[in-house]
Amino acid sequence: MIRFEDVTVTYADGGPPALAGVDLIVPEGELVLVVGPTGSGKSTLLRCVNGLVPHFSGGTLRGRVTVAGRDTRTHPPRELADVVGVVGQDPLAGFVTDVVEDELAYGMESLGLAPDVMRRRIEDTVDLLGLGDLRHRALRTLSGGQRQRVAIGSVLTAHPRVLVLDEPTSALDPVAAEEVLAALHRLVHDLGLTVLVAEHRLERVVQHADRVVRLPGGGLPPIVGLPAELMAGSPVAPPVVELGRLAGWRPLPLSVRDARRAAGGLRERLAGRSPLRAVHPGDGPVVAALRDVSVRYGDQVALRRVSLAVAGGEVVALMGRNGAGKSTLLHALVGLRRPDGGSVAVGGADPARLPGPRLLAHVGLVPQDPGDLLGADTVTAECAAADRDAARPTGATLALLDRLAPGIDPATHPRDLSEGQRLALALALVCVAEPPLLLLDEPTRGLDYAAKRRLVQVLAGLAARGHAVVLATHDVELAAEAAHRTVVLADGEVVADGPTAEVVVSSPAFAPQVAKVLAPGPWLTVAEVEAALLEAG
Amino acid sequence: MSLAAAFLPRDLHPLAWWAWAAGLAVAASRSTNPLLLLGLVAVAGNVVAARRSTAPWARSYAAFLRLGVLVVGVRLAFEVVFGTTDSGTVLVLLPRPPLPHALAGLEVGGPVTVDGLLGAGNDGLRLAALLACLGAANALANPSRLLRVVPGALYEVGVAVVVALTLAPQMVADVARVRQARRLRGRPDRGLRGLAGVALPVLEGALDRSLELAAAMDSRGYGRTAGVSPAARRGTAGLVLGGVLGVALGAYGVLDGGSPDVAGVPVLGLPLLVLGALAATAGFRLGGRRVARTSHRPDPWGLPEWLVLGSGLVTAAGFVLAAALGGDEAGLATPTSPPSWPTLPLLPLAAALVGLLPAWAAPRPYRRPVAADHPQREHDREQVAA
Amino acid sequence: MNAARRAARAAAVAVPVRGRAGLVLALVSALGLAAFGWPLLGSPGSGLGHDGDAPWLLALLLPLLIVVVLAEIADGGMDAKAVALLGVLAAVGAALRPLGGGATGFQPMFVLLILGGRALGPGFGFVLGSVTMFASALLTGGVGPWLPFQMLAASWVGLGAGLLPRASGRRETALLVGYGAVSGLGFGLLMNLWFWPFVTGSDSSLSFVAGAPLAQNLAQFLTFSVVTSLGWDVARAVGNAALLVAVGPRVLRALRRAARRAAFDVPVVFEPVEPTLLGRR
Repeated sequence: MIRFEDVTVTYADGGPPALAGVDLIVPEGELVLVVGPTGSGKSTLLRCVNGLVPHFSGGTLRGRVTVAGRDTRTHPPRELADVVGVVGQDPLAGFVTDVVEDELAYGMESLGLAPDVMRRRIEDTVDLLGLGDLRHRALRTLSGGQRQRVAIGSVLTAHPRVLVLDEPTSALDPVAAEEVLAALHRLVHDLGLTVLVAEHRLERVVQHADRVVRLPGGGLPPIVGLPAELMAGSPVAPPVVELGRLAGWRPLPLSVRDARRAAGGLRERLAGRSPLRAVHPGDGPVVAALRDVSVRYGDQVALRRVSLAVAGGEVVALMGRNGAGKSTLLHALVGLRRPDGGSVAVGGADPARLPGPRLLAHVGLVPQDPGDLLGADTVTAECAAADRDAARPTGATLALLDRLAPGIDPATHPRDLSEGQRLALALALVCVAEPPLLLLDEPTRGLDYAAKRRLVQVLAGLAARGHAVVLATHDVELAAEAAHRTVVLADGEVVADGPTAEVVVSSPAFAPQVAKVLAPGPWLTVAEVEAALLEAG
Repeated sequence: MSLAAAFLPRDLHPLAWWAWAAGLAVAASRSTNPLLLLGLVAVAGNVVAARRSTAPWARSYAAFLRLGVLVVGVRLAFEVVFGTTDSGTVLVLLPRPPLPHALAGLEVGGPVTVDGLLGAGNDGLRLAALLACLGAANALANPSRLLRVVPGALYEVGVAVVVALTLAPQMVADVARVRQARRLRGRPDRGLRGLAGVALPVLEGALDRSLELAAAMDSRGYGRTAGVSPAARRGTAGLVLGGVLGVALGAYGVLDGGSPDVAGVPVLGLPLLVLGALAATAGFRLGGRRVARTSHRPDPWGLPEWLVLGSGLVTAAGFVLAAALGGDEAGLATPTSPPSWPTLPLLPLAAALVGLLPAWAAPRPYRRPVAADHPQREHDREQVAA
Repeated sequence: MNAARRAARAAAVAVPVRGRAGLVLALVSALGLAAFGWPLLGSPGSGLGHDGDAPWLLALLLPLLIVVVLAEIADGGMDAKAVALLGVLAAVGAALRPLGGGATGFQPMFVLLILGGRALGPGFGFVLGSVTMFASALLTGGVGPWLPFQMLAASWVGLGAGLLPRASGRRETALLVGYGAVSGLGFGLLMNLWFWPFVTGSDSSLSFVAGAPLAQNLAQFLTFSVVTSLGWDVARAVGNAALLVAVGPRVLRALRRAARRAAFDVPVVFEPVEPTLLGRR
């Protein structure tokens, strides 16, 4: 169905080739997962499939890409629109119209189909993806998972034979991600589509994949193989796979279920041991306190009498469904939203009343989209502005950035940085003023495993120096690795608040993979298991 | 479409409403008789009241009426301050302020006469009636719906407008978010510096997203062209160029009254203008064939559309005929010096009443009973909070 | 890297205007000027008296002409990248338009128009003017008789910005500031010209005299402008200039970066596939 013959792609800016020597055959009806670190060329590979590279982006393509018998040399993307459907990283940015039904019809209108054919296909797609009650909604009022499904639906109505998705679940919470993956699963198994997915969050997807393509980056050719084989040697792997490698399970389990079935022996070996965890610094000075805080948006109650105290040196994970009030709580802590009831105190002051420059010294927030904080042309200019704002000597921010993410060219435009680098820059901008309280809102969007590891180290370092960190996240693995304490919010109220191990292990929705595999044991991360095994000898 | 189905509650084709409003506007432009003009305004208002949907832009009729009142007021104000009509009864004698030498030719103040006021009032009323007709078109057929019936040749521009309309509310949300982020960095978010600091990140983010949008559009088949033979392309080019050239020459003829005549019929001038316009339109429609697109739910054109269009045409034709037949005695223009009461001539009145037909002939507007305008609450909160 | 930098400094042309489209554009511009300025142009005996039909005719014709010229330009090739950029800039302009009230003089929409035309070419600037005005009218809920005239005038502003001579650095900023002031005044004068006959009628000392020599009518018009809206127009010109000085270079850099990433003029090269030798893996 898709064939890459010795494909090398070089962009016009004269850098090294984005892809080199790719030879790949994707048979019909398979779900192929493309993995690799940031910058390894995953997006380029996906865009070659429908001809966006090089027709749209410019550049040189050496070799040949053929899809369903059509060569991308002679077929620009619009000629391949009835064969390949592409869903980009940000579905909202790819929507042309305003209403769900119009968006579903847009692709077919471009292909010139008859109106009755269009009506029928829209009904089929709506049924297939469960969009029935969303039909007449405005696109910007949809949640992330709904948008992703509408985006898939809008390319599906053209009845393509290949579906290409670039990081479909990175911005979604676990429930929405499951919905999207279930839809993809249905498409592959019931409709026989060929699906190509690039994803960082392997733990959700790898069990569904029929084949994995790993791009090592740095100009090396890709490695193609079956998931179990490839994961055995891959540097990027989900926790289940790492656990399997550690315990020496053969064949390597890819899903929690497979791992549980193989985990009997490991559970015995670990019986009676308990994980070594960082001592919870429960008695540091209280840095921030929410007392009986309520926040209302019109007649919707976002936070209902929430009380929370955060002490210096602890990392608190804030978890909960979309709409449970996590962002609102963070905004109340940083003073962007004055509470309608109760009081907020950060370092003894009410953050909503602090003037701008003094706020920096009390609390810092890295928002969901770190790009919102950026406003300059180059990284140097951005850092210089932050130095001035925080009244720090010149170069402080740049030095901090270098510690967080080494190797960034200071002359790059901040929006040209990768996701991980942008997050590091935002962190540096906020941390240079050394606020005792640091807040992060969904920091793991679009981060690969290496960047997440670096983030965990950074957070641990900050906690060790006495800062208090609160992070709102869906990513249970991150919470398991980085957080001392977890607070679960639901419907604006605190439902659980305690050490991460206690809160997270018992909950099916928030348990990390290792916990699910080794339940009822108290193990959260592979590192803990490894340490315990080493100790056992 | 069967006759009964054509009259079920649905939205009338927008072009029908605009054509009807254009007919009424043409009729209004022929006359300065205040009774007739007010009659046309009443006709338009009646149809709007009968067939307007409940969408927000349906309130634009009132806005246009207010604008019309403002226009009449401004016209009267100009007449009072700068008017030069000296005949007739003098109402008020305004003082003439001394003017600098450079403005010596200007007459400010002086007598304010009834004749002058009446003349200005009628003129202003004519403009107000035009605005009322356009307001009726705005209220009955949202101009955004016109984007769905954009002809093929304008497809790309139509898509650009659709994208702009889709993105504008997102922009507003972005501005709110970036404003919050600026406060997080301890910077002012109000005032001029605040504006610049907010506008630039919003602009850059929007420009980056536009590239994603373009890639998505390309991937879904934007820009597929139907094969058009070279002969057809040359024909289209010739028609368009010739048409515009004809319009140019015709306009020149109209502007310059002393154009050469052939047997008493002006060669340049109005006929050439009309011919040129027709040729350009033909070329435009032919040019649309290069775009191979269909429409998902095309607005049907049935009997109600013809009736609405026809009523507009009849109104316009009635007024034009009355003007051509009767000249000044037709009652279309009200003499103001000396001032006399306006008459109510029969033909134009009948024509205006025909304009009421859409109040019955057009189907009732259909409002879908779905929470399409109520955003999902929780997500909205997230958006607001985020 | 040098080649890339050189390419970046050269003007990107997002919407090419070739041959036939250029000719139609010139003709329509001339006709548009006539549609705006018909009171100044009539000669005795023409159909241009105060009760004449010509003004209504020209006003009806103008939308058709605008539509034809936009279709011709689009025919020359507007790809998805140009359309997406148009939509985004028009959305920003339309969203910013309410911010610039006439009295305060700030017209962020115009500044965006000028900078867009400068960074992305005259054809782009022309279409951007029309699209921004139309989208803004739809967003504020009113398509009135002024709209075709506003569209044409805004399109001219964008076109002119694209036709300015090449310059860089401070000279470019100075050039744009000057153009911003001139175009702000010019737009105001054009719109004044449009409603001049309607507001003054036939019998005021500020009206035009049908058939009078151009100089006389022009003097009348200028007096009218001074009396009515010159204050606002000057404020608008000054506001444009100030805004251009303040944010012009930054916005221009952002637009040029977008043009570079969109790769309008970057060639697409295919190199032939080499035969796969055995054992070549």
